[in-house]
Order: sequence, then C-alpha cells, then structure tokens
Amino acid sequence: MTNPHGSATEFDPVSLEIMWSRLINIADEMWTTVLRTAVSTIIGAAQDFGCELHDRNGDSLAHSYRSMPVFNLIMPEVVRAIIAKYPRAEMQPGDVFTTNDPWICAGHLDDIAVVTPIFVDGEVVAFANTVAHTSSIGGALDGIRVKDLHEEGLFFPVLKLYDRGEPNETLFEIIKHNVRQPEMVITDIEAQVAANVVAERRLTEFMREYGLTSLEALGEAVQARTERAMRDEIAAIEDGVYEAEEMIEGNGTPLTLKVAITVAGDSMIVDYAGTADQTLGGGINCTFNYTRAHTVYPLKCLLSPGVPNNEGSFKPIEVRADERSLLNALPPASVNSRTKTGWHLHTLIFRALADALPERIQAGNGLMYAFRAYARDADGNPQNAHFICGGGRGAGYGNEGRTRNCFPSSAGNVPVEIFENRVPLLIDEDTLVDNHGRGRWNGAQGQRVTVRKLPGYDVPVQIYIHPDRLRFPAPGVFGGESSATNQFLKNGENLATDGAMQSGEISLDDPDDRFTSIIAGGAGYMPPED
Amino acid sequence: MAAGVNGARLAISFDVGGTFTDFVVVDLNAGDVVGRHKVLTNAAFPARGVLRGWRELIEQGFAPGQVELAVHSTTLVTNSVIERKGAVTALVTTRGFRDILELGREQMYDIYDLFAPPPEPLVPRSHRLEINERTTRDGSALTTPAQADLDTLIAELRELGVDAVAIAFLHSYRNTAHEALVAEAVREHLPDVQVSLSADVAPVAGEYERFSTVAADAFAKPAVAAYVAELGKALEELGVSSDLHLMMSSGEIASAATAVERPIRLLESGPASGAIAAAFYGQLAGHPDVLSLDMGGTTAKACVIERGAPEMAQLLEAARVRRFMKGSGLPIVAPVVDLIEIGAGGGSIAHRDELGLLKVGPESAGADPGPACYGLGGTTPTVSDANLALGYLNPDYFLGGEITLDASAANAAVALLGTELDLDPTATAWGIHRVVNENMAAAARVHIIERNRDPRSLAVIAFGGAGPAHAVAVARLLGSPTVIFPPGAGVASALGGLVAPIAFSAGRTFLTRLDSADWQHIGTLFDELETEAAREVASAGVDPGDITYRRWAEMRLEGQYHEIEVALPTHNPSAADLLEIRAAFERAYTARYGRMLAGLPIEALQWRLTATGPERAVELRRQALGAGDVTTAAKGTRPVYFGGDDSWIETTVYDRDKLAAGMAFAGPAIVEERESTAVIHPGNNARIDEYGSLIVDLA
Repeated sequence: MTNPHGSATEFDPVSLEIMWSRLINIADEMWTTVLRTAVSTIIGAAQDFGCELHDRNGDSLAHSYRSMPVFNLIMPEVVRAIIAKYPRAEMQPGDVFTTNDPWICAGHLDDIAVVTPIFVDGEVVAFANTVAHTSSIGGALDGIRVKDLHEEGLFFPVLKLYDRGEPNETLFEIIKHNVRQPEMVITDIEAQVAANVVAERRLTEFMREYGLTSLEALGEAVQARTERAMRDEIAAIEDGVYEAEEMIEGNGTPLTLKVAITVAGDSMIVDYAGTADQTLGGGINCTFNYTRAHTVYPLKCLLSPGVPNNEGSFKPIEVRADERSLLNALPPASVNSRTKTGWHLHTLIFRALADALPERIQAGNGLMYAFRAYARDADGNPQNAHFICGGGRGAGYGNEGRTRNCFPSSAGNVPVEIFENRVPLLIDEDTLVDNHGRGRWNGAQGQRVTVRKLPGYDVPVQIYIHPDRLRFPAPGVFGGESSATNQFLKNGENLATDGAMQSGEISLDDPDDRFTSIIAGGAGYMPPED
Repeated sequence: MAAGVNGARLAISFDVGGTFTDFVVVDLNAGDVVGRHKVLTNAAFPARGVLRGWRELIEQGFAPGQVELAVHSTTLVTNSVIERKGAVTALVTTRGFRDILELGREQMYDIYDLFAPPPEPLVPRSHRLEINERTTRDGSALTTPAQADLDTLIAELRELGVDAVAIAFLHSYRNTAHEALVAEAVREHLPDVQVSLSADVAPVAGEYERFSTVAADAFAKPAVAAYVAELGKALEELGVSSDLHLMMSSGEIASAATAVERPIRLLESGPASGAIAAAFYGQLAGHPDVLSLDMGGTTAKACVIERGAPEMAQLLEAARVRRFMKGSGLPIVAPVVDLIEIGAGGGSIAHRDELGLLKVGPESAGADPGPACYGLGGTTPTVSDANLALGYLNPDYFLGGEITLDASAANAAVALLGTELDLDPTATAWGIHRVVNENMAAAARVHIIERNRDPRSLAVIAFGGAGPAHAVAVARLLGSPTVIFPPGAGVASALGGLVAPIAFSAGRTFLTRLDSADWQHIGTLFDELETEAAREVASAGVDPGDITYRRWAEMRLEGQYHEIEVALPTHNPSAADLLEIRAAFERAYTARYGRMLAGLPIEALQWRLTATGPERAVELRRQALGAGDVTTAAKGTRPVYFGGDDSWIETTVYDRDKLAAGMAFAGPAIVEERESTAVIHPGNNARIDEYGSLIVDLA
C-alpha cells in the first residue's frame, strides 16, 4: 500500500477501491442501525433519514447508498457549523452534537442532526453524522396556516447532546416538553446516537488496520476522482446559458421559480435570480442549503449517477439564489413545507437542460404526498401516524414512467395495515388511476386513497395535509402531455375549489365522512403517437 | 464407487442446480458417503435430468429398493418466478386494494437512477379481482362477503380460465374467516383450480409483502404439484420404495404433500441445503459457529451459522430486477436460511470504472464465452483468469483435466486491463484477487454485524467451485481463526438434504404489549400453530410422539419496525412467564444493539412455533487419524504469488484425494481436487481431520 499520508495521486486504483468501499460499508452499517432501533413510522417505515462519514474538516467521505439524497448534501454543512462553534481542539471523546437549525441542517425543524466526533490517539480524525426526520418537533399541526418560523416548533441551535458521555439534561428536558409523543422522539434520537457509535468503532478499526492517522489524504483522493467524473460530464455539455421557468402553488397565489444554468467548460453556475420573494407564512420557503441540495441531487442523477457521491460531486457546481427569495429565505420565514418549493427544482433543471440532454432528462413527476392523522386512544393519549403515497414517475426518452415513488425523496410508503394499527382510521381504497400524461412514452399512473373513521370510534379524527399540484400538474416535455392535477375531496366535494386550500385540516366527524386524495401520475415524453 | 450391498440402507439427496444436478448417496449402516454423482440439469424438463441420474446410479449397482430416505432440492419455484413461467393466476383482494401488488413500497432502490424499473407483479391487473369484504385491525368482521358477490367472483374466475387463485384480504392475519369463506366457494365451484390463502401462507401484517407472497405461492403451485406427482410416480416405477421428501428454504425437510401445499417455501431449496451441509461439516470439525462461503461461477453466497444452525430470516426477495440491489425484487414472507448473495464468482469481470478504479463484478462472463482462460473467445479478465495468472489454478487440472485452461489468453486479458490502470500484469491480477475478496468480506461483514456477531469468532467453511481459492484470504480480512474445506466441495451441498431435520415452522401476527397481553388468546394461537405444524411433520412420516416443539416470539420496543427473535418457554406462555420473557428480550436486545433503551414498553408481533422430528438419520463414520507421510500426496511444485514481501513462492501442490486423515503440512500450499482448488497461504498450518475435511489454522 502507498503512504497513507501522501497526496491524492499516491493511492493506486486497487487500494483506493478497497478503502473507499470500506468507508461506504461503514455508512451502510450506520443506516442499518438507525432503521432497526428507531420507533417512528417516518423513520422505521418511510426511512426518512441519512448517514454519512466526514473527515476532520467536515468534507464528506461516504454515505450509505440508501440514505435520503438531500441529507447527503447538507450534512457537510452541519459538521462545519459544529466545528465553527465548538473548536475541534476542545472536543472530547463522548461528546455528541446536535441541531435542527434549518439554515444549517435540512431546511426545516423536523430534521435533526446528530454528530459524533471520532478520535484516534486523542485527535479528532472524523465525524459520524446521522440526520433523521423526527416524528414531532411540536408547533402548529396545520402547516398551511403558520405565520412564521416560530409557529413551526422547537428550534435548537448547535448544542451538545452529550458532553463527555453525559447527557445534556437541559436539552433533553426541553425537547421532551416541546414535542408530541416525546418517548418516540427521544428514542429516535438515541437510535441516531447508536448509529454513530457503530461508525466510531468500525472507523477506528479500519484506520488501525491500514495504519492511518488521518483521513484527509484518502478523502482528497476520493473527492478528486468524483470531482473529475462530474467535470468530465459537464464539459460534454455545450457551453451556454440554459434557462427555464416554472410556476408553483405558493400559498394560494402562484409563484415563479426561475433558473439560468451557465455551462462554461467543466463547471456550471445554477442561478435562481428572478425567483419570487420569500413569503413569511405558509412554510414554503427554502433555506439556501436546502436549495443547493435539491439542485445538486438532480444534476447528479443526470450527469454521474454511477459514481459514489461525496463532496467532489458538488465542487464544479455553483448555486446562487438571491437573499430573501423563496430559494434563499432568511429567518423568521417559515420553512416547514419547503418541499412545496424545493421538490420543483429538479423539474425546473430538467426543463432547462432538456435541449442539452434530451435523452437523459425526465418529464414531470407526480410527487409524493403525505397526510398525518391525529387521534386519541381510550386513555386520551395522542396517536399519530403518517400515510405516504408516491406520485407517478415521469417518462423519459425510451422509458415509460412505470412506477410511483417518493422521488426526490428516498422514502417509502406506510403499509395500510400498519397505519390502521396506529390510528383509528380505515383506508377504503388505494388504487391506481389514469391521471398521468400520455406521450410517445407515457408517465406512470397516479393513485387514489380514501379514508374514513374506524367504525365505533366516536371522537373526531383530524387529518392534516399540505398538498401540491393543485393548479400546476406534472409538466410533459417535448410535446408530451402533462398529468392531471391532484384532487382532494371530502364526501365527494372538492376542497380546493379555486385551486387553493385555506386550511390543511380535515376533520372526520361522522362515521360516514370520507376523505379522498387523488395523487397525480407522471407526465409524458413527446406527443402520443395515436 | 461402492455398490449397494445386500441389506444396505441407503439415503440419497439430489440437488438440481442451474448447471448440474448433484447426487450424494450415503450408506446409513456404515456412515460412509458411497456415491457422488453429477448429471447435466435438464432446464426445460428438470424431472428428466433427475431420472437420468437415478437410472445411472441404479446402473452403477445401487438398489432402489434399499433407499430409505430420498431428499430433493429444486430450483423449480425460483425459476418459475424469475422466468415468469407459472400458472394463469388470479388474485382476489378486499375491494379497493387490487393494486397493492403494483403499488409496492414506493421506494427507490437506486436513488440516482431516474428510470430504475420496478419489479413487475406476478399477477397482471386484468387478473386482480376484488370483493366486498372487510376485517378491521382487531380482527372484527366489518363486511362479510355476500353470496351474490361470491357468485359473481366465481363467474369472473371461470371467465378468466385461471389455474390458480390467490386470496389476500386486509388484516386476514387476525381473522382468516373471510379468506376461508371465499376459498371454500372457489374449491366448490372450480375444483381443478389450486387455491392459496394469504392467511395460511404468510399470516403477517403488511399487505404488500403478504399479497406478494400468496401471489407467488399460487403462481408456482400447479407446476410444483405436477412436478412432484410426476417425479414420485417415476421413482416408484424405478422401484424406489421410500417417500419423496423436499428441502425447504428454511433448511427443514418436508413431505411431498407439504411442498405441494406450500410451494413458496421451496424458493431457496438448493442454497438452504448448502447452508445445512456447512453447519454439519462445521459441527464435525468442532466449529458450531461458522460463516459458510459458497462461491461459484457467478455469485458467492454467505450464511452465518450459530450453534450448528443457520441463521434464519422471515423475508426474502425473489426475482430482483437488479440482482444485487436490495428492494428491486418481489418480497416473499417465508422462513428462510438467511443467505446473502454477492456478485463475486470465478466468472466475475474485472474492469476499470469511470473513476479509474479497479472494479470486479457484479457482471459475470457466465459459461459462454466465460473467462478468457476457457479459450472460448472471452477477452475480458475475470477472477478465474487472475487466479490462473497468480498460479492458484492448474491449467492442466481444471475439472480434473476435462478442460485445459488457456494461460496465455488469461495473461493477455489481465495485462490489457493492467495497461488501462497503469499496473503491471502481476499487480493487476493480484488487485483483482484482492478486490473480489474485499467485496465478499465487506458484504459478509455487514451481514455478520447486523446480527451483532463478531466475525473473529466464526470459522469460514469454503464451498463451491471457486470458494476454496478465496476462503483463506476472506477469512484473514474478517479476522476468522480457521478455514474448513469439506471433502468434495462440488457436491458437498447436496449432503445437506440428508442431515437436515424433518420440521415445519408456522407463525401468526398478533400485535400486543407484553404487559397487557391476552395470554389465553396467545395460547389458542399456539395450539393452532401446533396442530398445523404437527400435521405437516407427520405427513413426512414422523411419529407424533417423536415431535418436539419450540416456541418463539418476534418482539420489539413498542413502535419499532424491526423485531428480534426471542425463545419462549416450551409450554404455551402465560402471565407467570412474563418476567422471564422480558428478561430474554432484554438480553437479546442488548446483544444486538449494545444497550437496552429504557422507558418503552415491549410488544410482540409474531408468534412462531417449530415442530421437529427426531435427530438426523445420517451419521458419518470417523476415520482413524493416521501418521501417513504427506509427501506421498504431493504432486509437484509451481510458483505462486502471495503478494507483499512473500511475492512469488515455489509452492507444493497436493492431491486432495491422496491426503488422508491425520496428515498435516504448512503453507504455502495448493490443494487440488477435481472441482476446486484450495489456496493455503504462507504461515498457515493445514491438516486433514477424521471426517476428511481440510482444516487450516490461520497463523
């Protein structure tokens, strides 16, 4: 093996392959640990979390291949923010850091980062990082109606969760008293801590085996290769400025997203100038780190899907968004439902690059939809569960959209039987519908879900939704048809008569009350042939 | 080959694989393996290949009338699902849920592939029918199927001309009544149609997984019924007097009747046999805790064996769209030996990836053109080519000399890749060997650690054509202390059929907190499970008085999504056992996750029972450990590459057939047998034990 402290070029193609695979292997072990020890539906069933290893500077080394894509891209920022507040030299074994700051972490308060420094010979050599969507962070249940960030729940800046192995009782107590179902929330956080412990053990074993005292050279070598692959792909695109515009639902009033992608040589600038201003309420604002993540992820899908992901993938891509715009919102703008904006960025980027990469882009996706149900058990204890439905995938060149899933999230749905075991509701149907866009290649079908109260359960059950695609369907490309829009019905009556919803709360009071969600399919590619 | 002498009692295991059908014959009185036989698999008509093998064995002198035990492993169900060749099948579901099979879990299995195709359901939408019925989460019947609806359903099924019907209703794991009602109607009106009920096949919560399982069961059922009937009849005509038994995915042996009733349990029949054989040889060598490593031409399979029994899982994936991509297959709920499949075999192709790194697999050169060294026109370097270039393989003794390997073609292919990577040919071959070993070790490590086992506590058992050449290196990466090479690695896995117990496992979902459990109801569940399992085991000829029962619960902290298996008392549990059960859970939880989380109640989800027949019939005879001169087994030397400071070493080559019990030697060494070659590293100590296994202690 080559000198581990040497420069990037000194790793031969065999050693680097072996060592890199080991790091990914460790991140996979972290992921497995979270999945097996967490208790909420959002983690256990929907798998809304990610795990990553970083070098001592916070640069990413490897993430689990099943991690939530967007989490992989924001995690380095979390570590850098921690280092900025708690200098590395002062960190001690047994310290664990945490934050849910949307501007540092994943763009809304529900995502909690847990970061553990890893020591070799008394020095911090790496960080293990797990970000997961908590089942509750407190705050308003009806996200559509929030006025600002402070209504969205508990905010904790970068803090120590454990100090030399001792829990930070103040923080734990504050969390417990500000969230719904605190045992579930705390157990999930402990699952994150447990995953980091696994990483710590395995990474130190790995470094001992290879006689490494630092991971920076390995990190540089890995990142340099990844960066080269991304630059080669960008260089293959003709230089120029590629633009697109897209309308989104906003808070009732449609808003504009705009992008100009400048490709120059082997780098690219993605500039969102011209995008609508931030809006204080409604939760649809994206923090800049979240915008950047949802920019780089679809570009990676287009350009270098086969290459393991890390810091190197992002270096050739510069992202710009004006401060106080929808895509670079500042406090106290509300951010909880930032997917209503961020999940449209891939469509915007695919449309901008359609002429440059016609055989790689995808027509519009139906997008995932979730509702949350709140009820009380016989003892008055709150019960809540998410129900998640995938949207139909868009078609591509030579590809029918054939499935429904949660792209650009890697979550999965929640089984009907599991959901019904958690809340007193009955799902009446979950069925495919032909609301997709047709084309030379068709989008995938959408789905319809109808729910009512479990017979015999006398108290009203609340359902909360924050739907998308009320006016703007998944757009077709090159003349392919767009999908239909989403529809939400209570007892057959459309809840979004003018294309907007005033409230996301639906109360099921009577035994016969039924709530139906019809989720869009994917869009078509090129005009239908018949 | 020894013939069946008068009065001999024979046991025969026959294992249909992708390429070969392997036979192992054991003389039960002597405890000797008296026959090993191999015929080509007849992929289109597997029974014909099997019968040809039987006839050849009989021609060799084995008396069919002396066969007391005949155990069969088959790929029939796997192939049927992968190739989508099965019955015209209908799925009948609760109204509103016929698309569950197509909706699946709606999760990307490859986060960067925008167009990753989903696994296609086995039953198309046109054959997915609905009926008005509903059971709620506590098992109460909300809507019972009406007679008129049953009549309509029967008419629709008749119209579709189906051969098999899968019935799958929501929450049927809590109350089977509605599924049973519909099944009765189908059986009455369509007597020739095979029926599978989700509440029988996979009574667990989670509708996609359960529906998928029962669909696959029904899909395979008519073919399995026809095959087993054909085979049974033909064997009877040959004069075989014993009943036919089949190996299930769980490593348990079942009667032909059970296999026909529950075909989906045959999905991993062959690999399960291999795992059982590994456990058996591990025990013989004094290693109850082992990792079995079965490396063939295309893949390697690894399985953790603890206290002499393979680790079990309750869910597997069949017919993956991307073979090594979790989540890209059809989920099947069934007790299964917990194997992982790794894209690492002798035929795995080495290449330079887009980052300039050396990658090996998962693509394989297959059998045609195969590795470059086969001389069939292959030009891409494979693991076998690297092994030849490093001196591990003997070009003149591959498959006992049936095939001459083309060393210059192998070297040229390796050298070409070396040019791309800027490595010399030896460094390239060594890199290929190391990377494929790392791939196997990495996958095995995650698999072992998910069970919270320490890889350093497991011996490695090497099987398959390529396993013995890599086992020592993989064991070193894992920190394993010992490698065991059982005799006849090529057909050893078939022996699993003769040493596995006749047994049947059954389970039921009943979600309850332990502290408020209705133990009477749980007792009733166990009584039902016991009746069911006893019936199946008795159908394989076991006397009911010889059956032992074990009970388990799958438990977790309230709300978790992953359960751990906890052994229960040998009687039906009651409130009096609560403290003991809780303590057992806490021990198991701590063993797996390192610490117990306080404050959350414990809940149980699955209640399971296994009925097992008497101990295995086959016991192999020990050979006396002799003090034979090991040099008599040496067939020469050749230069072999071991990397690092050792580099090329002139290495002794031994003939496995001439190595007798008690012989010992030091590495480096090469041990050749007909179907595989064992590579022993410098510093290792090797010996032959009293059952003929080659044991290598890693220094």
